[in-house]
Amino acid sequence: MEAPRIDSGRIAEVSRGLERSEVESRKSVFSVRDLSVAYRGKVALEGVDLDVHQNTVTAFIGPSGCGKSTFIRCFNRMNDLIPGAKVDGTVLYHGEDLYARDVDAVEIRRRIGMVFQKPNPFPKSIYDNVAFGPRVLGMKGSLDERVESALRQAALWEEVKDRLKDGALGLSGGQQQRLCIARALAVEPDVILMDEPASALDPISTTRIEDLMHDLKREYTIVIVTHNMQQAARVADMTAFFSVAVEDDGSGRRGILVEYDATTKIFTTPSDKRTEDYVTGRFG
Amino acid sequence: MRVEFQEELAALEAGFQETGEIVVRSIRGVIDALRTQDVELCDEVIAYDDEIDDRYHGLEKQIELVLARQTPVAGDLRLVLALLHSGHHVERMGDQCVTIAKLTKLSSHLDTRQTVVESLVDMGERCAEMVTESLAAFAARDVSRARGLDALDELVDRANRQVFQEVLGYVNDAEALEWGMRQITAARCFERIGDNAVDIGEQTAFVVTGEFTEFTDASRDVRPLA
Repeated sequence: MEAPRIDSGRIAEVSRGLERSEVESRKSVFSVRDLSVAYRGKVALEGVDLDVHQNTVTAFIGPSGCGKSTFIRCFNRMNDLIPGAKVDGTVLYHGEDLYARDVDAVEIRRRIGMVFQKPNPFPKSIYDNVAFGPRVLGMKGSLDERVESALRQAALWEEVKDRLKDGALGLSGGQQQRLCIARALAVEPDVILMDEPASALDPISTTRIEDLMHDLKREYTIVIVTHNMQQAARVADMTAFFSVAVEDDGSGRRGILVEYDATTKIFTTPSDKRTEDYVTGRFG
Repeated sequence: MRVEFQEELAALEAGFQETGEIVVRSIRGVIDALRTQDVELCDEVIAYDDEIDDRYHGLEKQIELVLARQTPVAGDLRLVLALLHSGHHVERMGDQCVTIAKLTKLSSHLDTRQTVVESLVDMGERCAEMVTESLAAFAARDVSRARGLDALDELVDRANRQVFQEVLGYVNDAEALEWGMRQITAARCFERIGDNAVDIGEQTAFVVTGEFTEFTDASRDVRPLA
C-alpha cells in the first residue's frame, strides 16, 4: 500500500534546532586541535579538539574554572596579552594557523570581534564609540552610513538615532551592551566572540541580546560563553561542555572538553554522564 | 545538587505509581463484577473513577509546575514527559473500566453465556497483570521487562478475537446477540487497557534510552479482527 501523502516537512520545521550533521556540513571557521593553555606553567585547559562552523551559534558551558573563558580567548589571541600565558596546539582560522609568526594580531581582532560580560563603552559619544574602529583602521566609505548600519544590526538605532552625540555612559546597561556589539560590527568582522554577554543584564535586555544573536548568525559566526545553561539551550546550535579534571593526587586542576554536540542532543540525550549531571543540576 | 527538585521528581513518580495501583484495583473490581454480574459492584467501579481522575489531574498540575519552575532537561525532562504520558494512559484505563462496568449493568437483565464471561475474566486478569508489570518495569527502568509486555498483549488480543468469534455464533438469537454485542465492546475495552500498558512500557524505554519507538507498529501490522 502506498503511504499517505502528508507533508511532514512542515511539521518538522517547528522550533527544531539544527542537527549536528547540518552544522558540520557548513564550512569550518575554526579548527582547534589538541589545544592546551597554561598560565605561568600551570595548565588551565588541556587537549581540546573542536570545530566552529560558519553562520552558527556555538556555546561553551561548564562550571567555574573549567577553562571556557580561557578557551574563547584563544580565538582572537587575547591570551597573548596576558603575561606568562602559553598556548600549545593548533587553532586554524579558515584553514590558516592563527598562531603563525607572521599573523597580525590586530587584524585578527578586527575580523574576530569580542563582547565582554560587563559593557565597556568608551567614555565618548554613542557615535564616536561605533566610529572608533573604522576611524582607527582608516576604513573607506561614509562613516555616518557605517555607524547607522552597525547600530541597526545591533537593534539599537531606533533608540539612539536622535541622540548620537550624547555620551555612551548615559545609556542603560542593556543598551551599552548592544552598543558594544555595534562597535564590534562596525569594523566588518567575520566572527563575534561573546564572553557572558548577558550575565550583567536584566531579563528583557537579555532577551534582546539573545534575539540579536539569532539575527546576527545569518551574517556572522557567533561563539558565546555562558553560565546560564538555558541561554545556551535557547540560542546555540552547538554546545560544548567543559569540566574540571582533578589529578588523582588532588594536585592539579585543569579544564577539559567533555562533550561537544548539537545543543538539542546536549539538553535531551547527552552522551557523557558528566554532561548529564551538569545540565540536570546534579553536579557538585 | 538540586535537592528540592529531586524530591519533587520523586513525588511525581510516587503519585503516578499510586494512581496505577488504584487502577489495578479498579480492573480487579470490574473483573469480579463481570464474573458475578454484580450491578452494585459496577456502580462502585464507576464511582471509583472520580478518584483516578482527581489523581491524574493533580499529577498533571504538579508536572506543569515542575516544568515552569525547574525547567528539567535531559534524563529529568524525559522522566517528566514519560510521567505525563503514562499518567494519561493510566487515566484512560480507568475510563475503560467504567465502560465495562456500564456495559455489564446494561446487559444484566439478559442471560449470560459462560464461555464469553470466562474469556472476558481471563482478559481482565491478564490486563491487571500487564498493568502491574508495566508499573514495575517503569519503576525499575527495566527496558527488557517493558518489552516483555508485548508478548502478554498478544494473549489479550487473541482472547479479544475469541470473544468476537464466539458472539458471531449468536446471530440467530436476538437476545443472545444483544448481550454478545455488549460483551464485544467490553472485550475491546480490555484490549485497549492492554495497549495502554504497552504504551507505558514504551515510555519506560524512552526514559532509559532517549529514543521513542513503538514496540509494535499498529499502522502496519494489520491482522484480521477475527
